[in-house]
Amino acid sequence: MESAAQGIAERVIDLVVQALDVNALLLRIDVNAVIDQVDVNELMDHVDVNELLNHVDVNELLNHMDVNQILDHVDVNRLLTHVDVNQLLDRVDVNQLLNRVDVPLLLTRVDVDSLAGRLDIDEVLRRVDITALLDRIDMNDLVGRVDVDALVEQTDLGAVIAGASGGLATDALDEVRSQAVGLDQFIDRWVARLLRRKKFGPLAPSALLDAEARP
Amino acid sequence: MIARPQVTALVSLQRHYAGSVTRFTAYAIDFIVSSGLFAIALAAISYAAEVITGHSIAWNKHDLITGIAYACWYLLYFGYSWATSGRTPGMAVLGLRVIRADGAEIDPWRGIVRALAFPLSFLFFGLGFLGILVQREHRALHDFIAGTVVIYAWDARAARLRFLAREPLPSASPDGIAGR
Repeated sequence: MESAAQGIAERVIDLVVQALDVNALLLRIDVNAVIDQVDVNELMDHVDVNELLNHVDVNELLNHMDVNQILDHVDVNRLLTHVDVNQLLDRVDVNQLLNRVDVPLLLTRVDVDSLAGRLDIDEVLRRVDITALLDRIDMNDLVGRVDVDALVEQTDLGAVIAGASGGLATDALDEVRSQAVGLDQFIDRWVARLLRRKKFGPLAPSALLDAEARP
Repeated sequence: MIARPQVTALVSLQRHYAGSVTRFTAYAIDFIVSSGLFAIALAAISYAAEVITGHSIAWNKHDLITGIAYACWYLLYFGYSWATSGRTPGMAVLGLRVIRADGAEIDPWRGIVRALAFPLSFLFFGLGFLGILVQREHRALHDFIAGTVVIYAWDARAARLRFLAREPLPSASPDGIAGR
């Protein structure tokens, strides 16, 4: 009897969820007002986030949501002032969460430029204990996920690696060059002393110095 | 005291005016290479002449024809190198490059003018080279005539990586990229 009632209840919930237009519902809610009313930290104390995340099919949820529309309604900076980010991160198993999220799908649904424009990054970084966060990330796993071929292709990393791998002759050349530069500087210092120069002249042609100064 | 610059300092020195020791060493290499090639060329001509005519040619370094040929070869060696790439083989070894005084790439005609003006710096016991030692931008007489300067232009960033690869950090984790 009890199991039949539970089955009916589950079917009713399924039907309601299917009939519910999540986006339309969210449009009718003043999300910022709700955020103001909620003590997020207090709420977080009562929630086992990892347990909750285990029950949520994040990718399925993302499919039902217009993430950009939701983000348009949220004052992200205001939300962040209510959240103790470090406490939140302490309670989340980041590696487990990352394993469950289809990151490319998420990224296709977020207007990152618009979000970044509305975010006070300095404020976020100030509130995050980066060291603690890094301690909890499996760096080897993270690096294993990086498409190294694409990275080398899209940057000048390949040229740097090729240039950096040298044999005995290259090492000897490095040595000769650095010794010669050392002697150059030694002689320059003595010449400056003998000529009683107070100031050194320009170090390089102005165009090259300007190029160096540019980021 | 002569202190070898730190590897990181070498990276920041790139594009700066090159000093006297580096330039002199580069020239010494060029002198050896160009003279060696010239001597090989003379020996080859001598051998070919002997094979073809049966008479050997004895080259004398005080001979006018030999002197003119050497001067032409000298101009060709330096002029072609500076006009095409802004560096001679010796400068390439030491990681130097000739550029315009304003920092732009050297024009071919400037390279040729520099090569033509180069012998003038040797006059009066090499007085033209004194600028490399005492002038703030390390410019010799032929640099002023051609409107050029010489800068450090080697891949010091790669050299720094090679140095780091040779001497790994003591704190590096033995079992991977980062310890947890």
